Amino acid sequence: MKSFYKITHTSLVLWTWIALTADLTGAPVDKEAASQPAAGKTAYETHCAQCHGIDGKGEGPASALLNPRPRNFTTGMFKFRSTESGSLPTDEDLMAEINNGLHGTSMSDWSPFIKGDSLKQVVEYVKAFSPRFLQEKPRPVHVGSPVPYSAASAAAGKKVYTKLQCADCHGTDGAGTGAVAKDFQDEWNFETNAVNLTEPWTFRGGASSRDIYLRFRTGVDGTPMPSYAGTASDKEMWDLANYVVSIARKPVWKMNENEAKEFYAKLDAEAKADPVQRGKYLVRSVGCGGCHSRYTDDMHIVEGSQLSGGLTFDLYPFGKYVTRNLTSDKETGLGNWTDQEIKRAFTQGISRDGRKFLPFPMPWAAFAALKEDDQNAIVAYLRTVPAVHHKIPDPEKLNIFSYLWGKFRMLIMKERIPSPAYPMKEEEDQQKPVSKNSSGAEKNFAVRDERAKEVRP
Amino acid sequence: MKKILKWVGIVAACLVVIGFLAFLYLIPPFDLLPREAFSNPHAEAVASSLDKIDDPVERAIAQRGQYIMSYSDCSDCHTPQGDQGPNWSEFLAGGAKFELRGIGTAYTRNLTPDSETGLGGRTDEEVKRVLRSGISHDGRYFHPTTMPWPSFSNMTEEDRHALVVYLRHVKPVKHKVPEWSSESSDALYLFYPYDYAEHEKK
Repeated sequence: MKSFYKITHTSLVLWTWIALTADLTGAPVDKEAASQPAAGKTAYETHCAQCHGIDGKGEGPASALLNPRPRNFTTGMFKFRSTESGSLPTDEDLMAEINNGLHGTSMSDWSPFIKGDSLKQVVEYVKAFSPRFLQEKPRPVHVGSPVPYSAASAAAGKKVYTKLQCADCHGTDGAGTGAVAKDFQDEWNFETNAVNLTEPWTFRGGASSRDIYLRFRTGVDGTPMPSYAGTASDKEMWDLANYVVSIARKPVWKMNENEAKEFYAKLDAEAKADPVQRGKYLVRSVGCGGCHSRYTDDMHIVEGSQLSGGLTFDLYPFGKYVTRNLTSDKETGLGNWTDQEIKRAFTQGISRDGRKFLPFPMPWAAFAALKEDDQNAIVAYLRTVPAVHHKIPDPEKLNIFSYLWGKFRMLIMKERIPSPAYPMKEEEDQQKPVSKNSSGAEKNFAVRDERAKEVRP
Repeated sequence: MKKILKWVGIVAACLVVIGFLAFLYLIPPFDLLPREAFSNPHAEAVASSLDKIDDPVERAIAQRGQYIMSYSDCSDCHTPQGDQGPNWSEFLAGGAKFELRGIGTAYTRNLTPDSETGLGGRTDEEVKRVLRSGISHDGRYFHPTTMPWPSFSNMTEEDRHALVVYLRHVKPVKHKVPEWSSESSDALYLFYPYDYAEHEKK
């Protein structure tokens, strides 16, 4: 019986081995490429892992505050391709993205730093995160005969724009403010929005007619932007691309004096008209979430904890201060604060109870420079941040003797005393912040992630 | 008589000690100064340099950039600290130190247009790449808990452009900040708000 088991076991191992080798040799990846992923590892971990993560899931240490989020490579789904909707990208697509970057996002142009063989190796390594690349081949689209740019073609494209109801999401003026374009989520459950078609320098996949044509032809996988292959003819899509080229506005670096002044006045007017949008922009670009978030023990922001506070600053000799919960939670956040109280806190450094903040690390003195409208916008946006129940302890001050001794060390002995920062100690019964990624779709991705793990070399 | 003198001496000594302790207690940071003193104290000093820009478009853009710089508080980390708070004569010249466990030691850079020690030798695109993607001119990373570039990457490209145009018009300061090193202490995260630049001996 024992020997029978042994034989079965051995043959099982043998069969698995045969199956695996057979799978590898039958895969669309050639022998040379199959040896490359390991070579790309170093370059990937040096350059890409900061955002995309060591495990390729798009959850690197820098990812939590980025909009849009870094791509999760383990799903094998890519937005900007020259291949059919739902298909894998070609190697050239991936190389172009790494070379040129994705404009309007934090994905940089890597051409100065990742070159030649290294670029190919990184591409192979990225592909190795998803089993799809072993099982499928990219299906490149047939780019029909291009329609060169002309006023007539653009005019025809305008009609296509109406016909295909592009304005529903992208707006009649193409500025991305269509009626439907609210609260869009992508396949990865992150916020996404209709692209502003008048700003070609932010087009992720490039701004030439061909690039724009490809977006209609291939769709942007994982987002509400579908492929129009079959819905519109090839010529219609080229005309539409030419129309999008024609509605580009001038970027500020090409404007003359009046245009620049008008542009800034328009921005101010828009900020006033839509304070929540402006507030979101300010809160994100200033980086309130950089301090007002929970951190893991290796100093990565905990997903879903953005703006709910939780970073401790040990400011010797003043005491320990924890960044506050800025979400709209009534009990632990700003839910019960009045607009005036919030504004006074971030521009004058005076808390709701009259307690005064130190001039650091909360830079309320700098926020005093904000215009009145912008201050209101920040308040308006903070009101809309989903409540996260996260109780933050009050500052822990040093006793007066330690304080005086600390001041003596600082001012008389001129010691350079550092200020440590570290994640606040969470109470056991503290409710965990609600993760954004907690919907049903996450399960699917978890399964895919599991599979990705198995095949990864 | 001697006794009185002795008591006067004791009282005087006590007063000196108490006065000294009170001085320590109240000296900045930051109870002796009015709170207004911390509200954008550098705005006036730096605004004047923008008026001198001849090209009106560039001036308008630089003013926008200055506004972004003010509320983004670049100077909090990038202006060296003297004994009495930030040293405004070296506005944005860098020099503070960060130590991160397992990552290394970094110093806030000199953002002024000085060609030798500041951003003078960097192209606009190189500066924007830092603000957009946290990648230095030589391809290295800026750690997001030191330089908060993930937040700045949320800026529109036009605002980023304005910020860079503004930085080109800041007063150049020669202030050599030490280079990054891979050594660090065992503490998770330390910030030293002091000036670590090499100063030329006067």
